Amino acid sequence: MVLPTETFAATVTQTQALQTIAKGLILGGGFIGPGIGIGLVGGSYLQAAGRNPGASKFLLGQALIFVALVELFGLLAFASIFIVV
Amino acid sequence: MSFGLPLLLADSGPAVHIAPGAVFQLGGLTITNSILYGWICIVLICVFFIWVARQVTVKPKGGVIQLVEVAVEFIVDLVEGAFDDEKVGRKFVPYFVTLFCFILLNNWLGLLPIVGEGFQVGGHPLLRPFTADLDGTLALGVVTMGLVYTASIRESGGLLNYLRHFFVGNPLNPLYMFIALLEIISDLLRVVSLSLRLFLNITIGEILYVVFAYLGHIIGPITALPFTLLDVLVGALQAYIFTILATMYLAIAVNAAGEHRNHDDLTEDKLPETIEVTRQGAGA
Repeated sequence: MVLPTETFAATVTQTQALQTIAKGLILGGGFIGPGIGIGLVGGSYLQAAGRNPGASKFLLGQALIFVALVELFGLLAFASIFIVV
Repeated sequence: MSFGLPLLLADSGPAVHIAPGAVFQLGGLTITNSILYGWICIVLICVFFIWVARQVTVKPKGGVIQLVEVAVEFIVDLVEGAFDDEKVGRKFVPYFVTLFCFILLNNWLGLLPIVGEGFQVGGHPLLRPFTADLDGTLALGVVTMGLVYTASIRESGGLLNYLRHFFVGNPLNPLYMFIALLEIISDLLRVVSLSLRLFLNITIGEILYVVFAYLGHIIGPITALPFTLLDVLVGALQAYIFTILATMYLAIAVNAAGEHRNHDDLTEDKLPETIEVTRQGAGA
């Protein structure tokens, strides 16, 4: 079995290494915002549903819309890693 | 075997297609795998709904018909509830029910093993979900927003009247001009955001199965299964989101046009005191 470090040094150029780092940064940075956003939407939904359980069914539909609105930015970040060539 | 090493070397990863591939030529036009899949879905949906329409009776019957009735009634309630005037909403119901069913069928049939990367002919997948192709979702977005713009221009009575609802307050105030500009840009970007959301959700689902089936090696189908099950939920959610966002865009435009017309009909005694004062101030 070949040690990973030896193969890494032999086959991965500096450009490839930079691309890998760039993809990692895009994913990591791009998911922060949607993560916070979905957390806020979900937390607010639970607060509202706890305060008024009768409206929870209606509120769930509204909350899902906002989850989808927020999620778009995370998906854009995920799609951007494919244009890093 | 060297587990984990293929991940470090990006060259030997699984092959993922983001763009649709050409399957055959038809009279000078290239028919891609997503178009082929879209046609299959259209035929299936037509046959199924014609069959359902023949089977529907006044006295409720069990089985598939009841499920379809529940699904259709859900969308009908959703669309009609969004409009102030239910009669106006009822005009648009058929389009939105069709839209919802088409996207839902597209997303769910895309989970079958024969659709996507698993079944390839000549280097490309034979079938690709119509909603996992940006051309397809862009077409859906353009048609939907075309309906929204047409309906809102017609309901507000003329293009100028429609454009006027972006401009609130004094037109010479630069802040209001800036707000109107922002509103117009964000209105035009709805086509992009609607189509990109659907496209990215479904495509990233496809990529996830490929990646996790690749990671699983021999037990690939088992490692990809959780993501397939997740996509059952995501597919239904995205169909719902696309329909309700389109409904809301349409309802906001149409309801605003209706309010505008009613505003002129208000007689003096019905006007509250504060509105009267501001109206005089704006007119002076």
